[in-house]
Amino acid sequence: MGRMLLISRLVIGDIRRRWVQSLLLVVMVLTTTTTLTLALTLHHASQNPFARTRAATKGPDFVAENGPAPGSGDPSPSQFAPLMHAHGVQATAGPFPVAFTRLTASGIDVPVDAEGRDIGPSPVDQPLLTAGHWVSAGGAVIEQGLAEALGLHVGDTISLGGHRFRVVGIALTTARPFYPASSPGLVWLTSSDAKSLATPAEPLGYVLDIKMAPHAPLHALDAPSQAFATSSGVPSSVEDWQGIRADDYRVIALDQKVLLVGSWLLAMLAIASIAVVVGGRMAEQTRRVGLLKAVGGTPKFVGGVLLAQNVVLALGAAIIGLGAGTLLAPTLGSPGNGLLGAATSPSPTLGSAAFVMGVAVAVAVAATLAPAVRGARMSTLRALGDAAHAPRRRARVIALSAALPVSMLLSLRLIARRTRRTVLTAASLMIAVTMVVAALAVQRSLQTHQSHAAAGFLASSAIYQSANHVLVILSVLLGILAAISATFTAWATVIDTQIATALARALGATPRQVGAGITTAQLLPGLVAACVGIPAGLMLYQLAGGNLNDAMPPMLWLLAVIPGTLIAVAAATAIPARIGARRPVAGILRAE
Amino acid sequence: MMTELGSCVLRARGLCMDYGRGEARVRAVDEVTLEVACGESVAIVGPSGCGKSSLLYLLGGLERPTAGTLWLAGEQLDHMPEARLARVRRHATGFVFQAFHLVDELTALENIELPVLLAGGSPSAASRRAHELLEQVGLSDRARHLPSELSGGQRQRVAIARALANKPAVVLADEPTGNLDSAAAADVMRLFDQLHVDGQTLVIVTHDRQIAATADRLASMRDGAFVEETRPAEGAARTLSAMTGLRR
Repeated sequence: MGRMLLISRLVIGDIRRRWVQSLLLVVMVLTTTTTLTLALTLHHASQNPFARTRAATKGPDFVAENGPAPGSGDPSPSQFAPLMHAHGVQATAGPFPVAFTRLTASGIDVPVDAEGRDIGPSPVDQPLLTAGHWVSAGGAVIEQGLAEALGLHVGDTISLGGHRFRVVGIALTTARPFYPASSPGLVWLTSSDAKSLATPAEPLGYVLDIKMAPHAPLHALDAPSQAFATSSGVPSSVEDWQGIRADDYRVIALDQKVLLVGSWLLAMLAIASIAVVVGGRMAEQTRRVGLLKAVGGTPKFVGGVLLAQNVVLALGAAIIGLGAGTLLAPTLGSPGNGLLGAATSPSPTLGSAAFVMGVAVAVAVAATLAPAVRGARMSTLRALGDAAHAPRRRARVIALSAALPVSMLLSLRLIARRTRRTVLTAASLMIAVTMVVAALAVQRSLQTHQSHAAAGFLASSAIYQSANHVLVILSVLLGILAAISATFTAWATVIDTQIATALARALGATPRQVGAGITTAQLLPGLVAACVGIPAGLMLYQLAGGNLNDAMPPMLWLLAVIPGTLIAVAAATAIPARIGARRPVAGILRAE
Repeated sequence: MMTELGSCVLRARGLCMDYGRGEARVRAVDEVTLEVACGESVAIVGPSGCGKSSLLYLLGGLERPTAGTLWLAGEQLDHMPEARLARVRRHATGFVFQAFHLVDELTALENIELPVLLAGGSPSAASRRAHELLEQVGLSDRARHLPSELSGGQRQRVAIARALANKPAVVLADEPTGNLDSAAAADVMRLFDQLHVDGQTLVIVTHDRQIAATADRLASMRDGAFVEETRPAEGAARTLSAMTGLRR
């Protein structure tokens, strides 16, 4: 009990004394856990709403449809007879007539299927109205995903195949995937209105919704489906509800893929950044370790204190991150608006929450373990003397730097002293650049899609818009983390090299030269990160399912990433470099 | 305190240095006036915490005085911008620290090259000068050794060589034998003695009475102020070897 009290006092004391570093650690863990929560929440976003929507709309188990094709006869409702009378079928709705036409509204022209419906309720696939009322003569009901994409509301006027209709309702269905997962889009009209849209060139097709009995044999519809497909002589298909759900999921899958890849990148960045922060915290705690040992603290106790300091912060940040991720999730669910509740109520499951907490603790422990073990093993006398971890000697770099201007000489030698820290900095910046370049590729693909006047691209544009939304959020999060990481790395460098830089100033280096040296020491990994991050970002885009043929950002954009990265790094490190270059020399040298 | 020697390299008048603010203010250096002539050797002695090191850092331009004026190598330092002050430190002063302050990852040779490179010298010029100085301090065979591979005395000799790298007007040494055993301290004292004989201007803060006794002048400090000056009788300036019988 007494030991726990002592550890908690030491942890609280450390957090209060080094509150800026503690805050940085919290921000890093928080950003990572927020993104992980988003990714995991989105994973379930399309599955649960589909089930709810299916139940609310009396969703069919199978949907059969036929349609016209050049050179084949006109589709007929009688072709559905084998399916309607098949063994195991409990109920059917239809066949409903479907007109294959175009919807024009607000200058946008998209292909749609206009399905003719009875005014009364249907025993299978009764679309659920989210606004307005059901079909009436001259009144159209728009599928919610399509309405969202086109910005249509109840009361708007649309044109279908040149005929004017009023939007009287907006509704959900699970008889076909929501727009943009399904293109053409879907509107419902009265049967007579739908039939009026048919033309000799585009005759009507038909759709039948089928509900199977609860204990119907698994493959009861296989043979009738075969008979339906072969007997009709026109293009026809039968799709089960699982296929429709998979198509719905496809829309959210791109977001989820981007988020998952991004969250793993974030986790890597967080580990690298947290390692730097924790390393910096440990470098300042050497004397404290010595004091704890001098008053009787065992290596295990010292290691425990160091671990507890970071794990407590990580746990706190993970709880906030879970909350933030839960709040942010609806903003990413927009493509799922075609399903009931997809946009409004995704929340992390207990398993996801446990996973996120576990990752946060694991990251904190992984980053703390090596310095904690080192601290615990360090001799008491050495720790009391605040002996710094011996820097590495890189003879070639030292020889090379001798011929360079003073600030470059200092920066190269700073880099050579702590190569692992430099690699971590380069890695964290590279991850951020990767995400920015991937976001640029998505931006480019959006531009390409929008430049095509044909609205057939609208469906895929909506998917890319959504992915872009996710990427922008991720890029911002990664940018914040990378900036914090760069700032803290610069500060850790200042602390670690304070004697070397004070000595350089005592020997005649100016504060500007020292400051430029510290900044340049961060710019060099920044340059490497930008050069590697550009191709890595393009690869990430392809990995997430993108096609670079229509998404390759202009060379100017890509080249601008390099100076952009360097300017961002210079800005992030300017303050620590300036402080480090102007610290009182005599105080530092005398303290030794 | 005025010197009777020739041209003045270092001149301080009414130099004050305060630490802290308000009630916590402590005067570390109190109205110190000092002139050091070219080639002169001055030792500053006094108890711990009397302000010796603070005065040395003030004289070398590593600290700024709270009051008073300071001239070094013909330039007034007390209100000089930091960048110019750095230039003065680069060319006019050489520091020797009690803790050596060698750069751990640089060899003895590279440590000595450092001030030359910081002053914009070419790598070949820096190397040439470093080799000369290593020979002068008797460590030619240790050129490629890291500080961790050198004894305390050897490290301090490297530090002295580094202080001499840019041929400074004055070498300022802060307790140069404070971290050394007696044999190593004797080596270092011999080296300072030789520098004095060669005409190098020296200001040494020390507890070591033997080192102090080799100086042309000995200034005692207490509570931040000079309280006494002693000077060997004319013509009786004693070299270390004469005093202690140590062999060179």
